[in-house]
Amino acid sequence: MRNRIRVAARRAAFLAVTGCALLGGCATTPVQPWERGQLARWDMRWDPDPLQGAMAGHTRFSKEGSSGEIGAAGGGCGCN
Amino acid sequence: MGARPHLSPSLAALMSAAAALAPEAHAQTATGAETDSRVSYRFNDYSEDSLAPGPHLGDPERYRVLSQQFQLATRAGSESAIDVSATHEVMSGSSPWYLLRGPDNRPIQVMSGATIQEHRNEVRASWTQGAGTSSSTTWSASYSQERDYRATALGVERSVPLGDALTLGYGGSFSHDLIDPFEAEKYDRVRHEDKNSASAFGSLAWVIDRASVLQTGLQLNVEHGYLSDPYKLVSVGSSLVDDLRPDRRVQAAWLARYRRAFSAADAALHVNYRYAQDNWGIVSHTVEAAWFQTLPSRWELVPSLRYYSQQQARFYAPYFVDAGSHNFYSSDYRLGTFGALSASFNLRKRIGKWEFSGGVERYHAATDYALGGADAVVPGVVSYTRAFIGLDYLLQ
Repeated sequence: MRNRIRVAARRAAFLAVTGCALLGGCATTPVQPWERGQLARWDMRWDPDPLQGAMAGHTRFSKEGSSGEIGAAGGGCGCN
Repeated sequence: MGARPHLSPSLAALMSAAAALAPEAHAQTATGAETDSRVSYRFNDYSEDSLAPGPHLGDPERYRVLSQQFQLATRAGSESAIDVSATHEVMSGSSPWYLLRGPDNRPIQVMSGATIQEHRNEVRASWTQGAGTSSSTTWSASYSQERDYRATALGVERSVPLGDALTLGYGGSFSHDLIDPFEAEKYDRVRHEDKNSASAFGSLAWVIDRASVLQTGLQLNVEHGYLSDPYKLVSVGSSLVDDLRPDRRVQAAWLARYRRAFSAADAALHVNYRYAQDNWGIVSHTVEAAWFQTLPSRWELVPSLRYYSQQQARFYAPYFVDAGSHNFYSSDYRLGTFGALSASFNLRKRIGKWEFSGGVERYHAATDYALGGADAVVPGVVSYTRAFIGLDYLLQ
């Protein structure tokens, strides 16, 4: 079991380093504040409909063994 | 600044207006610190398909859940926001109880008796400092109660800019859950158990260009305590024993989210990927894509697709021929190998300060959909249809 955890930790570290490298290494011309109009669109949010997102996430959490989102997690429920 | 004198007055005014929006734009996309003030309501109807054809005992009709959600999100001062929500659910139906080894070694699914109506109530509240700015902190608390389950959770999330293009997000949460199974004496179930869950995460969001943003992050979840299902049994040899899982679970997940605006089409593309692995042996992949299409007359159409695949926990089997060297047992289909495809279709219409929304999701799961195939059959795997209607009133 410890080996499996080590493998998981190594994979997570690899993904983290790769992700950071991708983000840092692909730097392009900075986007100026007045060029961010499209980024401010409602449909560009990470979660445009939080209520529906919460319900969909809750449903999957109760029917799948490993699903989840990123961010502060809520409590569990008797459904899982 | 040397270029400014060459701008026309109208273009300069437009740039100033856009610049004034910038902190909020940055917050909404790169950190998720949204600043809407609205009252929202959703009604959801979740209905599971009947048990798939195959040997079974008991009622094949499965769960149906009717949910109502209420939310108030509002600014509180110039840089604070409050979000309060409540959920009420009514659940009924039967669910997989245990599996028997059939005469030809095919498992026979035994269903629980149909439940009377169960209820779940949940309240959540969060307070964001720095709402609408590039640096924010959100404190959250939630409480969920059912007849046999109570959960209390606290969380904090922080986002801070790292230069012009990067935003760092991090935070954590803790939950304490109490489990008091009903009819414990009648079925010789555990009487009173608890579990604690803690999570920590970190993420980086990158504004790639004026139309796209990418976020990647890691999340670590640790659960400790009673993690078994008190309502499920397992066939071991000729006996039925309680579902028994390890009392500790550690899960690591990596997530990437990409958003791209298409101004010519007046649309936005969302793509998410998540990889998760835990010390129970479950490995999962999730890919989601959604297209947010704005239409004339303030309509919006959102089709989306999702694929999920998981490999089973080491201690999952439909049944166990004998106790052997097993320390843990579970026949819960949610710990088996399966994959799921889902498609959803949402529609939204805005009239003045009112928004009307509705949608439907079809979710179909099968062992054949799993990446790499399945080692064991998973008879109870569930497919469902979920529909909702919603109403929002914008307060500003």
